[in-house]
Amino acid sequence: MSQGISEQAQVEAPQTEVKLAEGSILTDDFIRQLINVGQIDILVGLPTHNNASTIGPVVSAIQVGLLRAFPRERAAIINVDGGSRDGTPDLVTGASIDDLRHASNLYALRTLHSISTQYSPAPSSGIALRTILAAAELLQARACVVISPESTNIEPDWIARLLHPIYNDNYDLVTPTYRRQKFEGLLVRNLIYPMTRALYSWRIREPYPSDFGFSGQLGSQFLAQNAWSHEVGQTGAEINLAITAMAGDFRLCQSFLGMKLHADRTATDLVPALRQTVGTLFWSLDNHFPAWSTRSGSQPIPTQGAESEVTLEPVRVNRQRLMEMFRSGIAELESVFKSILSPATLSELNRIATLEEAEFRYPAELWVKTIYEFAASYHKSVISRDHIVQALAPLYRGRIFTFLTENRNGTTEDIENNVELLCLEFERLKPYLLEVWNGRE
Amino acid sequence: MSIVQDPLWYKNAIIYQVHVRTFFDSNGDGIGDFPGLAAKLDYLKELGINVIWLMPFFPSPLRDDGYDISDYNSVHPTYGTLDDFKQFLAGAHQRGIRVVIEMVLNHTSDQHPWFQESRKSQDSPRRDWYVWSETDTRYKGVRIIFVDTEMSNWAWDTISKQYYWHRFFSHQPDLNYDNPAVREEMWNVMKFWLDMGVDGFRLDAVPYLVEREGTSCENLPETHAVIQELRAKLDARYPGRMLLAEANQWPADLRPYFGDGDEFHMAFHFPLMPRMFMGLKLEDRKPITEILQQTPEIPSSCQWCLFLRNHDELTLEMVTDVERDYMYDAYAGTKTMRLNLGIRRRLAPLLDNDRRRIELMNGMLMSLPGTPIIYYGDEIGMGDNIYLGDRNGVRTPMQWSGGWNGGFSAADPESLYSPLILNPVYGYQSVNVLSQKRTEHSLLSWMQRIIQVRRSTPAFGSGSIEFLYPANHRVLAYVRQLSNETILVVNNLSNAAQAVELDLRRYKGNILIEMFGRNIFPRIGDLPYLLTMGPYQFYWFRLRRI
Repeated sequence: MSQGISEQAQVEAPQTEVKLAEGSILTDDFIRQLINVGQIDILVGLPTHNNASTIGPVVSAIQVGLLRAFPRERAAIINVDGGSRDGTPDLVTGASIDDLRHASNLYALRTLHSISTQYSPAPSSGIALRTILAAAELLQARACVVISPESTNIEPDWIARLLHPIYNDNYDLVTPTYRRQKFEGLLVRNLIYPMTRALYSWRIREPYPSDFGFSGQLGSQFLAQNAWSHEVGQTGAEINLAITAMAGDFRLCQSFLGMKLHADRTATDLVPALRQTVGTLFWSLDNHFPAWSTRSGSQPIPTQGAESEVTLEPVRVNRQRLMEMFRSGIAELESVFKSILSPATLSELNRIATLEEAEFRYPAELWVKTIYEFAASYHKSVISRDHIVQALAPLYRGRIFTFLTENRNGTTEDIENNVELLCLEFERLKPYLLEVWNGRE
Repeated sequence: MSIVQDPLWYKNAIIYQVHVRTFFDSNGDGIGDFPGLAAKLDYLKELGINVIWLMPFFPSPLRDDGYDISDYNSVHPTYGTLDDFKQFLAGAHQRGIRVVIEMVLNHTSDQHPWFQESRKSQDSPRRDWYVWSETDTRYKGVRIIFVDTEMSNWAWDTISKQYYWHRFFSHQPDLNYDNPAVREEMWNVMKFWLDMGVDGFRLDAVPYLVEREGTSCENLPETHAVIQELRAKLDARYPGRMLLAEANQWPADLRPYFGDGDEFHMAFHFPLMPRMFMGLKLEDRKPITEILQQTPEIPSSCQWCLFLRNHDELTLEMVTDVERDYMYDAYAGTKTMRLNLGIRRRLAPLLDNDRRRIELMNGMLMSLPGTPIIYYGDEIGMGDNIYLGDRNGVRTPMQWSGGWNGGFSAADPESLYSPLILNPVYGYQSVNVLSQKRTEHSLLSWMQRIIQVRRSTPAFGSGSIEFLYPANHRVLAYVRQLSNETILVVNNLSNAAQAVELDLRRYKGNILIEMFGRNIFPRIGDLPYLLTMGPYQFYWFRLRRI
């Protein structure tokens, strides 16, 4: 009766060929694989692109996490790959849970599906997330999680932390909180977190997560939005999902995941990062105006573990370069700023640009007004929207210079306090956003 | 019809397991008996089974449903006489039905004269027929089987002031198989019944025959030597008779009981049964294919015995802790459904009386490699009574009709050996042979049909098996093959419709003939063969190249 050939070896996912039916984002082969998976309870989305060097431990951690936390549930790992040339999809689908039986003494009651699909022409987190959402809807997954393939320090626990609140407690979105280095995540701390908090009144520390969980219901609603037809909606799909959850009638919570490490990679250019985050945030304001315009203040959301942790490890930042880029930006983009900013704000910016480095401060109030005026100008499309987002880059550098200066010798508490003060400033000045939003053309 | 002289008859058999007490009461005393069983042989012939496995019917205090025997060479008076048994046996043989009886080798009742004599004193001539000890510390660490009732494998005998060894209840002392006189006497018992014409024995609790210090006292080489000795004697004097092992063990531990074809002819595949239920609940073939992958090859003259339910609890000894917890939650929601390490329920209630699931499970039972056993009453979907003690809830009277006592007995209902099932879903008014015989699409009629198809398909009994592993894990598919006969079996374990693609390229050119309706399905080509299946549906296809 013994066949001698393991089932795992016989059910390998075939290599996908990127060929889409008209009007579909899913390949026929991927649909065939989804048919074979059938209805599931838990979906783990794994967007990849040339992650062969890190994907192995990530997949193992996911498998162990699933077997520990959800041994009875029907689960599938869905790898959506942006055209890897290093064999990443094979590593995902080829990872055998039989190995875990020996290494971790874990036993799988049922088949843990692992399938993969590729899309083209270029890596896109939006296409990847949309494919994962489509798979989740077709498979009727109740709880989903997306894990970054670069999360090299992922622990199996992450799976439970991101999924349990959804699967067991009916939350719709679980965002992570991390232990961050003091000068890590500057864009999130100086803009994304304070602004989303002020707009939607929910204190989500990481509204632009790379590891997060969501309910099938939230996923389906987000998938049905027409945001996918816009480039901006595709570019910042993750933050857009969080914004949709914050703006809608969804239950939110956070889970502490510990230190967040990434595989070595080249530093992301600031402008693309601003497009993905700030651009999407500004862009979403039109859609969600009824939601954000009527809310004030903010409230915490349930958090499993610490809300945020900061380590004081030093990080080398070239502050002088920041200052130079701020000053040159103010000088070179004056005509652009005239279209975007109010005279008072622009005048104040010009003033601080003349200050000596030691005296330079980009105060919170000015920073918040700057951002709100940029948002209103984006809404009104006073110039090309992409130019508006690009123009924010030098100002952001000036603000970061101030943040680094203010917190250079700060304790963990000092840094957290400063972030909190900035958040409160965003909340206090929210009427100003409404004023400029509805004001002059 | 008479018995066909096929030495491998057990490989193509359909076994019907029944306790004489439960089947039909001919004399109105409230207890089934051999004349009653004989009167129902036509029913069994019509059902299509060709082997009856009788549970213990010997004189016994009946403290363990007859597995506590006090006289091996007679019939319990409430079930009739030895002559009644002989008449039943002859009637069965006339109808082409073989009869397999129980042989409880490991232990006797403490009321057996052998034990009574053995315990009289430490100098008794039969003292060495049982396993005695001054202390209860010998064979330390040996597991206790009936964990719900027994604290130790040793019991103190107040008469002879020593401990005696028992692997089951304390009123069932283990025989000492190191004693040649015991081995000889048990062979004499077997000869007694073989001379009468019985076709085989189910040997109860075989792994425990011999004890050795420092071991688990299970599956010892000395135990195998005892079996080999019995088998050699059987083959020499009674060719064509069969030995079936009851050994609740992992497949690898069971394999030695087949020896080189010189121990048992058949053995129960205990680990497969709970995994069939598990696979169904999980809607995933993994538990089933995994255990069958771990199942070693056995000699060509040997055979596995497969079953869905029997007179005991659905045993969960041969599963992992994770699997056991799952099975309890999935199939035994309340504690009263559980016993020892198992679930004391019948097939229909376990499957929520879902006809589709009952058919699917029977379909797998009949098509996986082995000889299927049907537990009496499961062919009509009888229910159970979890409020009766021990395993008595699955041993209630057979339900023949909607009339007095369900047609089982003319006695006062209060005097029956066991209350009938009375509830509106499974009670005898709803579930009985008579009403199901009148309906072409009843479970009973369906069982007759599938048994007929199974019996006409030797590949199921003797053929090879090859699993297909389609990418859809809710589908269990395999090919059974014997010489020119090729059968494709496809089972949908899911409660939802499924599409499945089968790689049948090696059978390219064959057409598929569905074996129940005999309809033709498309010819196999180069592309994956696409089937769509309804919830819990299964297909049996005969492959034909025409």
